[in-house]
Parts: sequence; structure tokens; C-alpha cells
Amino acid sequence: MKQPKILLLIVIALLPLTLVSCVPWGTQAGGGWSGTAFHDGNIYAGTSNGRVVAINSSTQSLEWFYTVAMPSGGASCGQSSVSAPIYATPIVDGDLVYIGTYSGEVYALSRADGESIWIYPPKGEGYIGAVVGSPVIANGIIYTSSSDGKVYALNTTNGKPMWETDHPLADKLWTSPTVMGDTLYVSTLDGDIYALSAETGELLDWSFESEAGFASSPVICEDTDTMFLGSFDRHLYAVKIGSNVSEWRFPEKPAGNWFWTSPVIDEGIVYAGCLDGKLYAIEADTGREIWSYLTEDQNGKPSPIVSSPVLMDNLLIVVNESGTLHVFDLAGELANEGVPWWTTSIGAGVWSSFCAQEGLVYIRGEDNHLYIVDTGNRQVNQPIPLTDEA
Amino acid sequence: MSFVEIWQLIIANPILNVLVALSHFLFGQFGLAIIALTIIVRLVSWPLTKRQLKSSKAMQDMQPKLQELQRKYGKNKPKLQQEMMKLYKEAGINPLGCLWPMLIQFPIWIALYQAIMSALATTPGNLLNLAQRLYSWEIVSQAIPLSSQFLGLDLGQTALEAGGLGLLLAIIVGGTMWIQQKMTAAPSVDPRQESTQRMMTLMMPLMFGFFTLMFPSGLALYWAVSNIIGIITQYFVTGGWGYLKFRSPFSQR
Repeated sequence: MKQPKILLLIVIALLPLTLVSCVPWGTQAGGGWSGTAFHDGNIYAGTSNGRVVAINSSTQSLEWFYTVAMPSGGASCGQSSVSAPIYATPIVDGDLVYIGTYSGEVYALSRADGESIWIYPPKGEGYIGAVVGSPVIANGIIYTSSSDGKVYALNTTNGKPMWETDHPLADKLWTSPTVMGDTLYVSTLDGDIYALSAETGELLDWSFESEAGFASSPVICEDTDTMFLGSFDRHLYAVKIGSNVSEWRFPEKPAGNWFWTSPVIDEGIVYAGCLDGKLYAIEADTGREIWSYLTEDQNGKPSPIVSSPVLMDNLLIVVNESGTLHVFDLAGELANEGVPWWTTSIGAGVWSSFCAQEGLVYIRGEDNHLYIVDTGNRQVNQPIPLTDEA
Repeated sequence: MSFVEIWQLIIANPILNVLVALSHFLFGQFGLAIIALTIIVRLVSWPLTKRQLKSSKAMQDMQPKLQELQRKYGKNKPKLQQEMMKLYKEAGINPLGCLWPMLIQFPIWIALYQAIMSALATTPGNLLNLAQRLYSWEIVSQAIPLSSQFLGLDLGQTALEAGGLGLLLAIIVGGTMWIQQKMTAAPSVDPRQESTQRMMTLMMPLMFGFFTLMFPSGLALYWAVSNIIGIITQYFVTGGWGYLKFRSPFSQR
């Protein structure tokens, strides 16, 4: 009688272990919100099952895909590797497509067939911290921030490291660096902005400190040397490079939520999406609100704006989390009224950055489909599945 | 409104926001915020705990009478059960009363687990979701992002990932739970019940030790502090170490 009881005791005690070990808490299998990039007739995107895909925009067919895997990290029901989440959006430069992954790697893939040209760090040499913010390319160097708090600079041709910051700039870096001239600007979740030499990675004299953390990557207006970025304190900041005090903070009283995504600037106006669902048009010089527009979901509830707005010719395109696309005609009669020219819904949630080219808007939905919206006839084309499951 | 929305509105979001706000007041230390929240939860559930402890003390005092019944009706189990229940009723004791404080804490554990995972925002998705769940208090905005480091532990990591310190935390959680259970577990007159009880006293600490290894250390910190507070209050309310089989250096007996 005693032995079965001890056996039962062991089984019950081990049950949670067995159940929990199937859910690798520290390891996230798949996921991410990689956006779309358009180049020379192809659309490139990361998918939630760890793939980088190339879609031919004319034929709407899959050209190639590359799967990024990462170790499962401990007990995970026998799997030794899982698909890596991809948050960063692919970037195309020359013949290569570059992508940073949550597995802590940067890949350069052939634009022609998706073959891996180089990986940093090379396989078998460990990983850097998870890459969340999209890398940027300037002067033949790819710069990426990482969850280990460091910034890495790699040669775009062969992936050889040019430099990495001596020490972490923050607990983790989830924003993209911004390059202007020979300087790299990095905003941190801890509320700092650092300036680094793009050539050597050395910290330059100027930095900016805010009480609250920065949620978005800096966007720089080169004419005025001013950067704009959103904060966890529900304000959008305008910071002049070289100054220790912000030029302005918008709005005066905190907005309804964080300015999570980077704004865009056009003709002296900053267009910023907010997680409170509003799109704000703000005078870049003064921080004065010109207009605001509340975007909603299909049920009429405010829907957060997670993706950065995109400019295409005189059109400002905004997609909210519920997948409703708003097109503002910045040259039209309603330009100063804050009223969208037209709206349409793709019918899927959107957290990813998107791109627009030659009258077409390319959006990756959270359902792992690529949606193409034609701004000419205002139609949403037949969605293209990006994964086998989709 | 769905169950999830009600759950978040009434339990999960208040706990999350209180945790974040406490972190702001406690020098940005999320670990201290968890400890402070544990004390708050213990204070709120004090009336129930007090009832449980009194019930436990009454059971302790009743042992001679129960042993007498055992001697008298030991061979007649139904009669023994009947007489025991009668005795409990007369003394105004509910033998299952001690389960209530534990049951009440289950939703708090679940909400706390969710709050820790959300507040620490270990993944970018968690951080984005956090935006929708935080109140518009300035102290909350200024506390984000929270530092997960506390006494050398990453509170967002499982104890298993944390290595030696994590293992120590698992031993503390299991050990304190065992002490607390031993203090309250009155020896049963029924050998079968006694055997089950002994198994439970061993199984629960073992289970929570395993949970500690598998869940974020922040949750384990809550369990450890909650157990320690439980032991202290039990010691002072019931006036000693109860059924724990060692003599306290502070005990007069």
C-alpha cells in the first residue's frame, strides 16, 4: 500500500514539471512583428514561423524563403531547435537582404534565391542579444542594436564585425539606431539618447537624459538637427542634437497612451501615431497641435496605432492595430482638417511596419498574410499566405 | 464583457498597476514591490487567516478528545466519523476551514504571475501589451521599464535558468511551506487520514519547489515571503511551533 502511494506522490509532483517543460518560458518559439520591405518588384518580410520570405509583387507568388531556427533552450518536449521570432523588418541593399532575429543573429541572404551569404555571429560562435529594432545600413556598414544593450557594426559584404560598443548602453536596446552623417543616435528604454561615432562606435560627448524611457527610435529632421521620438510618459519629444533640454514635449498633458512608434516628418509637420488610437499632426518647430484624428476598429472603439505612418507622394498612410487603413491626402482640401481621404479595412490585425510603393501598400497582417492595398482603386487584393499554416 | 475582460478589470490590472507603482516608490526595485504586495495581500486576507489559525489551534486542543474517540470507536469507522463530526460541530470547527485562505490566494497567484510577466515585459510583445493595461498615473509611466534584477536574481527568469541562487530559492519555498504545513497539520486519529495528510505535507512543498524551478523567480519570491509571514503569524497567534516536531528555543513548554 505504501509503495503505490509513494509512486503517486512522485507522479503528482513531477506532473507540473512535465507540463511546464513543454512551455519554454524563457524561449519564445516563433512570433514577432517583422514588417515588409519592397525592392525591385519583390516584397520581403519576416513571418511568425521564423521565415524570411520573398514574394513577387507581379505574380504574387513565393520566390523563396529562408527559415531561421534557434536552440529551444532547455526542456521543450524533445525539440532541440525552434523557429526564431523575427521582430525586425528586412532591409535590402544591393544583392543582399539583411535581417536581424530574436535569436541574436544578423543574416545576409541572397536577394536572388534566399541563400545564406553570411551570419553574424557565425554558426557555432554563440549569439549576440536578441535583435528587436530593425538594423540600418549606411556607408557599407550595417548597424544593429541588441537586447544585450550593445550596438554592433558589421561589414555589409562579409559580415565581419567593424566594432561593438565597449559596454551595454542600457539593460536592453529594442529600438533601431538612426544614422546622420558620421554619427549614430540610439534611444533607450531607460530614457537616454546616445550619440556614437559611426566609424568607431565611440561614445561622443553629447547625450540626452529623460525621466521616462523612450519607446520609439529617433527620427531626425536634418534641416533643423532635431530628433523626434516617443516616450513611456505619453509624450512625444523634440530634442535638438547638442542640447540637454527638450525643445518641446507634446501634448502638454499626457496623451491617452504611449507614442510607441516612430513619427514621420513632412513639410515641417510631424505625424505621430499613438497607442491611444490617435494620429497627431504637430508643428515641428513649436510642438503645437495642428489636428488629431481618432482611428477606430470595426466596432467603433479606438484602436492603437502600433505601426509607423508611411508617406507615399502626397499621401499619408496610417494603419491601426485593427487593420483599418487611413489615407490622408496632404495636398488635398482636407489636408489641414485631419480628415482621412478614405479608409478601408484589411480584416486582420497589424503590428508590423509596412511599406508603400508605386500606388500599392504592402502590409503583413498578424494572420501571416500579405495584404496589398491599391490606393488607385482603393481595393484590398487577395491576401497572400506567408506560411504553410496561413 | 468577457470573463477575461472582467478578470483583467477587477483583479489582474489593479495588481499589475499596484506592483508597478510600488516599484516606483521602492527605489525602482521590483523585488521589493513584490515583497510589499505580499504583505498587503497577507493583511487583506488576515481575517480569513486568523480564522484558519484559530481553527487550527482548536483542533490542537481537541486532540485528547479525538484520541479518546479513537480508542472508543477505533474498530467502528462510520461511528468514529460520526462522533468526530459531532465533536467538531460542538466546538464550532470546520475541518476544511483551513483550505479557504489557500483557495482565495489562487486567483491572486494567477494574477500575480500574469502581472510579473507583464510588468517585466521580457518580450517586446509583453511590453506592447503592457501599454493597454497600465493606468495613466504618472508614477506608473516613470517606472517603466522595470528592472528585473533583485538580489542577484532575474525575477523574470525561472529559478532553473538562474542556477545556484534559483535552486536556493526553490529550497526556501519548499522548506518554508513544509514548516508552515507541519505547524498546522494536526495528527489524525484515523491512520488512513494520517497517511494521506503526511503525503500532502510532503507533496505540497515538493510541488511548489518544482513550480519555483519552472516559473519566474518573481512568483517564487512571493511564495517564499508569503510562507515566512505565514510561519511568523502562526507562531504568534497559536503561541508556538504547533505540530512541528522540534522544540523551539523560545517555547516555554
